[in-house]
Amino acid sequence: MSDFNAAAFRQHFPFFAAQPDWIYLDNAATTHKPFAVLETLDHFYRQQNSNVHRGAHKLSQMATILYEEARSCIQQYVNAAEPAEIIFTSGTTAALNQLAFGLMHTVLKPGDRILISALEHHANIVSWQLHCQRFGVILDVIPLDSQLQLDQSAFEQLLTLHPKVVSLTQVSNALGTVLPLASMLQAAKAAGAITVVDGAQGIVWDKPDLQQLAADFYCFSGHKLYGPTGIGVLYGKRALLERLTPLLGGGEMIEQVSFSHSSFNHLPARLEAGTPHIAGALGLAAAIRFISQFDVSQIKSYKRLLLKTFHDGLQHIPGIVVLSPWQDNAGIVTLNLQGEHSADVATLLNEQRIAVRAGRHCAMPLFDLMATAGAVRFAFAPYNQISEVEQCLKALTQAAEILAS
Amino acid sequence: MTMEQLLSDTATALAAIRQQDLPQLQQPLDWQSKYRLLMQLGKKLPAIPEKMRQNEWLVRGCESRAWLLHYHDNTVGKHYFVLDSEARIVKGLLAIMLSFVNGLSQQELKQLDLQRAFDALNLKPYLSQSRSNGLNAMLNHIRHCLNE
Ligand SMILES: Cc1ncc(COP(=O)(O)O)c(C=O)c1O
Repeated sequence: MSDFNAAAFRQHFPFFAAQPDWIYLDNAATTHKPFAVLETLDHFYRQQNSNVHRGAHKLSQMATILYEEARSCIQQYVNAAEPAEIIFTSGTTAALNQLAFGLMHTVLKPGDRILISALEHHANIVSWQLHCQRFGVILDVIPLDSQLQLDQSAFEQLLTLHPKVVSLTQVSNALGTVLPLASMLQAAKAAGAITVVDGAQGIVWDKPDLQQLAADFYCFSGHKLYGPTGIGVLYGKRALLERLTPLLGGGEMIEQVSFSHSSFNHLPARLEAGTPHIAGALGLAAAIRFISQFDVSQIKSYKRLLLKTFHDGLQHIPGIVVLSPWQDNAGIVTLNLQGEHSADVATLLNEQRIAVRAGRHCAMPLFDLMATAGAVRFAFAPYNQISEVEQCLKALTQAAEILAS
Repeated sequence: MTMEQLLSDTATALAAIRQQDLPQLQQPLDWQSKYRLLMQLGKKLPAIPEKMRQNEWLVRGCESRAWLLHYHDNTVGKHYFVLDSEARIVKGLLAIMLSFVNGLSQQELKQLDLQRAFDALNLKPYLSQSRSNGLNAMLNHIRHCLNE
């Protein structure tokens, strides 16, 4: 048992009082927002609103201070070496696209290889793929073993091809699998690669220590960590961030512009062209302050309790085929009802006000590998209650009965 | 299974659906029974055999895959369809849609008010979710066939 007080945690989220009929288990898509985040957004627009880094006036200076404080707050949470290593982006997708674009133009040469895994979200596949052909760069994929875990001996083999970049998700959004990142990143570094972590799902599972983890880059989205949509982070080691070609050009990111040439500003401004999502950055910092009040290991064991309740209940429903691993799982269970399409199962759950996602979860290549047309995904968060898991099991039983009749 | 066979089986199934199932759907039913009925009704439509489920017939924009075959009878100026879906509830909803659409002329199809037709069967919510369940995509696809 854990000492985590889920009922008290849930009280921070006004959504549940507004939608009392719903059981929300689509947390891998996005999470709800606590009062602390909502109030920060509201307060900023009502009382502090100004653009950053621009005005000579005091209000702009105040907004700039808040924005930079938000950066420092995030830096401390992930334990980056300095605030300038935290680049604000619109989310994980934008961060990975900046990264792929930036490395292609500088670090990567024709014939170089990039290594990803079979568990990646499209964001960590397509952002590289977009450039591979043009730059003559080769994308390799770490395959799965029969347990749907990454095949570690194949990984070792692929490292002997000396990939320039190894880019891995921390947690599979489709299956919930937690990757053995620490060892994999070390092996990748030992093979001379630049290491990238897609932390979109991982950031809610574990608090990263970026000076401990052998990651050169780490990306995440605010909205999966109880923060606003439209804000995310590209973390990078300073020396490497400085090598990235900016994806976006415009205001604030340059030092000197003439019509024939521009010289770039310093970090982080260099990679933050245009007016940033100022309120979003403040909101993300508020989310991080909020989550910092709770003990990560207690939240983890509470999520394991939710998983165990779900696991035990599933044993009583005939025809359930679970794709997710139960060990090293971050709180996501993907399953099918034997012989049924996931869209039908999700329709019947929706009818019973259970919010889940069906389909291939932006991981089409993974579902091709598993030879599965799709699956229903239940993604748990610490504000979910044991009673909700039980309710969900009942709804799933009901769905199975309707489909079987 | 030939195209002719599929067309004629579809027409027969749709006649039965119009006669037996649509009146049942208008009765007050609990949601469970409604879905059971939808699935039974979908089952009446013939399955498009695996080898005919080609990409060119695939309807894009659905969570689940669906296929639509189109036949234009030039002599009478009417449009006929065969459809299938890998999801059973979706197939039921598509079957209902097809029961309104099959065998109409281009002019009739343009005038068809599907919203009203679904309303009359107490199925309005399903049409409004049509983005996710594929009704919308199927309807666009049918319009596309007409314009070819
Ligand atoms: C593992 C993973 N990577 C990347 C993303 C993309 O995140 P966003 O849509 O916030 O950019 C997601 C979101 O679903 C994800 O789960």
